[in-house]
Amino acid sequence: MKVLVAVKRVVDYNVKVRAKADGSDVDLNNVKMSINPFCEIAVEEAVRLKEAGTATEVIAVSIGDKACQEQIRTALALGADRGIQVETEGSVEPLVVAKLLKGVVEKEQPQLVILGKQSIDGDNNQTGQMLGALTNMPQGTFASEIAVDGDKLSVTREVDGGLQTLSLNMPAIVTSDLRLNEPRYASLPNIMKAKKKPLDVYSPADLGVEVTTHLTQVSVEPPAERQAGIKVESVDELVDKLKNEAKVI
Amino acid sequence: MSHQSTQQQRIEALRDLLGAANVLIDQQSLTHFGTDWTRYYTPAPLAIVFPTCIADVQALVIYAAEHSLALVPSGGRTGLSAGAVATDGELVVCLDKLNTIDAFNPVDGTLRCGAGVTTGEIQSFAEREGLYYPVDFASSGSSQIGGNVATNAGGIKVVRYGMTREWIAGLKVVTGTGELLDLNRGLVKNNAGYDLRHLVIGSEGTLGIVVEVTVRLVNPPAPHSVMLMACPSMPAIIEVLKAARSTLTLNAFEFFSDKALDKVCEATGWQRPVQVESPFYALLEFEQSDADAAQNLYAAVASQHWASDAVMSQSIGQAQQLWAFRERISEIISHWVPYKSDISSVISKLPDMLAAIDEIVGRAYPEFEIVWFGHIGDGNVHLNVLKPEALDIQTFSERCGEVNTWVSEVVREYGGSVSAEHGIGLLKKSVLPYSVSPAELAIMRGIKASFDPHGIMNPGKIFD
Repeated sequence: MKVLVAVKRVVDYNVKVRAKADGSDVDLNNVKMSINPFCEIAVEEAVRLKEAGTATEVIAVSIGDKACQEQIRTALALGADRGIQVETEGSVEPLVVAKLLKGVVEKEQPQLVILGKQSIDGDNNQTGQMLGALTNMPQGTFASEIAVDGDKLSVTREVDGGLQTLSLNMPAIVTSDLRLNEPRYASLPNIMKAKKKPLDVYSPADLGVEVTTHLTQVSVEPPAERQAGIKVESVDELVDKLKNEAKVI
Repeated sequence: MSHQSTQQQRIEALRDLLGAANVLIDQQSLTHFGTDWTRYYTPAPLAIVFPTCIADVQALVIYAAEHSLALVPSGGRTGLSAGAVATDGELVVCLDKLNTIDAFNPVDGTLRCGAGVTTGEIQSFAEREGLYYPVDFASSGSSQIGGNVATNAGGIKVVRYGMTREWIAGLKVVTGTGELLDLNRGLVKNNAGYDLRHLVIGSEGTLGIVVEVTVRLVNPPAPHSVMLMACPSMPAIIEVLKAARSTLTLNAFEFFSDKALDKVCEATGWQRPVQVESPFYALLEFEQSDADAAQNLYAAVASQHWASDAVMSQSIGQAQQLWAFRERISEIISHWVPYKSDISSVISKLPDMLAAIDEIVGRAYPEFEIVWFGHIGDGNVHLNVLKPEALDIQTFSERCGEVNTWVSEVVREYGGSVSAEHGIGLLKKSVLPYSVSPAELAIMRGIKASFDPHGIMNPGKIFD
């Protein structure tokens, strides 16, 4: 069974992001970039399927400029067998990403596609679902557990108030939630082996996709700064302030 | 006049001097402000005072000199050698209210602030200006810059940035006669006589009270990666350090023993970070742009069998998690009320010094568990001997007294230091002679007498 995993290069989730001075975008200068945490979980799940003997090959795909090869190499170091970069410039919208992934799916014919449920930069939570619609493959989103049984896939989903378990016919699409697994560290021997693993580069045209934009980013600004607190002398003063200044009681 | 009425008179005088609100004598405050993180001593100060300006501190010192009242300066009280502990009716001078950031000078890259500003506030201020204050340690949220100066605080980035001493461009200090010294005034070059600033740094409050500090700020470092490497022996770790220093821009080079990792994994339930079990682990932090060089380094040291496995962080979260294996050790082993020692030697002698200590303790007390960790890139290691569950604390404490002497003898033999970064305070006075010669000690006493002729500045700390 072939598994395709999508990985995205994003600002590391521990970075305190700043807006550029001109408000045009987030400032990426000297900022740590990492694999999107949900994508990392997707890679780990695919690698575990391979280690369990269920999957035979794991392919990591990323869409972006040359820099995203760093995240593909990370996926290869975690245990993916080969990488694919679809080379694009600037930011691409979820629909375009889904179309490009569909192109890769048609080329590779995987039995299972695992994606992160969303990327932490755009927070769109759209790509996996759009890919499902475009490929007409069944989808199990927000997975906290998956199990392969022949050509069926059982997906446990985290839904409001509990867990829902679906049974999908493969080929299928899964998007990973936070609790699906805990990703491993990349070991140095594996990081070095990853350098020698194949990495193919496609253009959108190779996949028959035209990159279009439907959205324009107007401005990026930081949230309003929180006002400093004050100390009150008495309960009466507190009640007065809550009533007349904060107007919450 | 009775002792009690003398005390009462003094407290009244202090209230007149500083205002009643700035003098505390309730038991809870006496206990809270009268001690640091050591917890071995019972605090018993006369009162806690809060000067609100430099002139207040001078007035306090002049009053104390006239009345032979001992002063204990108090910052964030996160020290580990009882340097800020008041056990004998001293007046605790708490610098919390000298907490203003006075001037940032972008041309000089300096920040002038009161002694009571916390290390964390300085770090945040620097960050807002797009700059960086590189001295960092676990207690930076509470520790104050004045205390950092008085103890020459080190921390986890010493390999790259050095100790607090490297970052102090200017100091204002009130001496034991109440005089205010304005030392170095932010200058980069200043060879006008003895640099008294460097005598005050690390003096643990025995020469004067630091009231204002000017620190240097730098450009922030590039994003970093962390590598954790399994190493078969201490000599192997030193080889890795040697190789790493010539190929990477190192921010930190730490190590811990397998026993330390065991305790952390057991207490937290975390998975071991590397698959191969090994007697020692080295933790390297370096600039992310060195990631390729780090791979070459691993290949080179692995081919020499100096490392058997390693992992490298792929995100800041993983870097923090790898650091956590190192940073959680101290808190987790505190369960076994360990005997702790903070010793150093030149790096080349570390493996032999550690082996000698292991041997000497192991021979006398084979049942004692020894946990090693520390800042090996600075030649600084922390020895921890854990109390066996079966042994009562009294007996353990007595045996640790012996261990302490043996360790100090070994440290002397290797030309090391019995206190690498925690200072001497009250806790390590008895071992000071193992690292300081009688001639040196006599000069130290002379220096103290010059700064503090009445002997009121933190008396009984470092030496009697």
